[in-house]
Amino acid sequence: MLFGLPRKLWIEMSALEKKFLQLSWKLHPDKFVNASAEEQELSLKRSSELNDAYRVLRDPVARVEYLLELEGMRKEGEHKQQAPPELLEEVFELNESLDELREAKASGGDLASLKTRLESAEKSFQVKLGEVDARLQETARQWDAAIDADASDTDRKGIMARLNELLNRRSYIRNLVTNVQKEVL
Amino acid sequence: MARIVGIDLGTTNSLVAYIDPQTGAPKCIPGPSGSTLCPSVVSIDPDGSIIVGEPARRRLLTQPERTIYSVKRLMGRGVADIQDELKLFPFRIDPTSKNVIRVRLGDKFFTAPEISAFILRELKNWAEAYFGESVSRAVVTVPAYFNDAQRQATKDAGKLAGLEVLRLVNEPTAAALAYGLHEKQRGYVAVYDFGGGTFDISVLKLISTREGDIYQVLSTNGDTHLGGDDIDNLLQAFVHEKILQQHRVDFSPHSELAQELRKELIAIKHQLSESESATLRFPLPNGAIFVQEFERGAFEALIRPIVDRTMGPVRQALADAKLKPSEIEEVVLVGGATRTPLIRHAVREYFDRKPHTELNPDEVVALGAAVQANILDRGVSNMLLLDVTPLSLGIETYGGAVAKVIPRNSTIPASAQETYTTGVDNQTGIDIHVLQGERELAKDCRSLARFTLKVPPAPAGLPRIEVKFLIDANGILQVGAKDTRTGEQRTIEVQPSYGISDTEIERMLEESIEYAEQDFAERQAIEARTEAEIILAATQKAFHNPQAASLTHAERENIDAAVAALKESVSGNDYKLIRRRIDELNQATMHLAELLMNSAVSTALQGRKLAEV
Repeated sequence: MLFGLPRKLWIEMSALEKKFLQLSWKLHPDKFVNASAEEQELSLKRSSELNDAYRVLRDPVARVEYLLELEGMRKEGEHKQQAPPELLEEVFELNESLDELREAKASGGDLASLKTRLESAEKSFQVKLGEVDARLQETARQWDAAIDADASDTDRKGIMARLNELLNRRSYIRNLVTNVQKEVL
Repeated sequence: MARIVGIDLGTTNSLVAYIDPQTGAPKCIPGPSGSTLCPSVVSIDPDGSIIVGEPARRRLLTQPERTIYSVKRLMGRGVADIQDELKLFPFRIDPTSKNVIRVRLGDKFFTAPEISAFILRELKNWAEAYFGESVSRAVVTVPAYFNDAQRQATKDAGKLAGLEVLRLVNEPTAAALAYGLHEKQRGYVAVYDFGGGTFDISVLKLISTREGDIYQVLSTNGDTHLGGDDIDNLLQAFVHEKILQQHRVDFSPHSELAQELRKELIAIKHQLSESESATLRFPLPNGAIFVQEFERGAFEALIRPIVDRTMGPVRQALADAKLKPSEIEEVVLVGGATRTPLIRHAVREYFDRKPHTELNPDEVVALGAAVQANILDRGVSNMLLLDVTPLSLGIETYGGAVAKVIPRNSTIPASAQETYTTGVDNQTGIDIHVLQGERELAKDCRSLARFTLKVPPAPAGLPRIEVKFLIDANGILQVGAKDTRTGEQRTIEVQPSYGISDTEIERMLEESIEYAEQDFAERQAIEARTEAEIILAATQKAFHNPQAASLTHAERENIDAAVAALKESVSGNDYKLIRRRIDELNQATMHLAELLMNSAVSTALQGRKLAEV
């Protein structure tokens, strides 16, 4: 545990950065150029671990994923890519518009109106992304409170299941947005 | 421990710098001509000897077949990658070369790292002549947006030149280091580096901590095939077309005439940075003279698309750093092309502040490399550089897609672990394809390496092989694997997709190292001999001085013996022996020198009043 942090989701960013920089002074390979091969090897290993950890911890979403992996609630490569039921209709429309746009591009049809339609769809999904992020934050606070209150295993598992579901929803919407952005560009 | 130098291995010019121990400031080392710029041009004589720098550049006009420039554009690239460049650059590619390009110089073929090694060796010679001692360790700069293969090729070039490359430093980061010393600024800094063949943009955060100053790169972006060369190519194509229209004169872009024209156009380009117009007068083989007036406005309209191409990476780098242009406190311009007023104007406009241009844009990268060399040399110092990997690292997954395992702009060293298992019973190998790039399909990314993980026969899904991908502080990939069931570590032979294999490097090294040692010894011997001749002549002269008569017989004999010994050593090639004999003669003539000194002083004082002394 490089950073010596509890398994909580709220992290004070300036303190995290300070710790990261302090550890960088100690571990970075630049400090070991004239050292033995073993020390150089160790510095490479430890500093890469430090950078990997910092990369995950400073990103609020990656942080949740990491916590769930630590707790065994989320396994690599098992992320569900199903559409959330209440979004089905909108996703269907969106995909239709995307198909139309691709066709229009191929046949040289009218792009402008399609693009406008897609851009407004993108905005609507961006708003939904914002909502998911807000709920993710709220649920993260519940997690921290549960840790502080030393809550039961069942309670913790319940919160983690909700976090997991939110992450899946988030990555689904994110993919939609990226797909639209790619076609509209 | 031997000295570490900083080297900027540029597309157009290369430089070597060091930290002056007296002032603590970085300084570029001049070559024999007195200039610190070594044109990155290599030429080969019919007898096989290699000519580098300014003399080679002059031969571009007289012996273009035996001379090559801008070889950095070929580093770490395959034949398929450079088809566009071939239309514009007179590279003579070996038609049989595949993943590693070989170019013809005279009647021999060389890889890009070998040619770059000639340039590095030249700079090594400059430094050795300057210090009077051997130089074997260096920090070498690379464009921030260089991929793994391009970085590896640069490291290989160092190795072939007899240099241990302790660190590859990104050029814009090096520039920030050089400016940091100069300015002592804090906050967010953007470095816009438009060189001869590459464009980079880096966003840094400068942080003061109790231990010292940290230069943290937040994001980087760029284009490794966009540079001042492209402006020259545009001008050349424009004028070529005009000459064809007006005079019906056509010539190959590889001809001497084309090289002559290019040289003239570069001069025009430079003039237009200073004045509002410039005139080209170019004599044609048919006796006619082509005349073209260039207005700065028209020139800027012509090159505008190139300048615009740099702005995409600039916007992306800021977006990745999660910053707005107005949050950037300092902007630094690097690279000769940033002398162009249009580029300065575009950068100033975008960031809405005046960019820094105080340091010579040709030297600033080398100066920064020297700063980093000094940081490494002292091990503990009050500066630390945290750089990033410019491109995402990915693994090909089912259906030709790419799974990103290390995202771009991750602080390096960075690593990622992936666990692999088998799909069928008794499968003995798992194929892994490592890529670099931002696109989602493997075919659109840069292939770094392919390898097969060996697996002991077992039921499907049972083996667990953990593969660790690690990007080191140079931005170069290392791969290791571990069987998590047995705990057995294994090293993986990774054959780079676009690079020279280790065995190939070894072979080239064997050829080159012999030369290198011979070269160094030979140069040292020449210098020692020259010095010996000077001291022998001085001793001879001293004997004619009346003061020499007061030497004792033993002293005189001593000197004669030392003179004879030195004369004997000069006929050989052992520079260490010559130096030792020089020292011995110096010892023997110590008393003689004192006598001469005293007589000189008393002669000088004679006839002067005491008060004047």
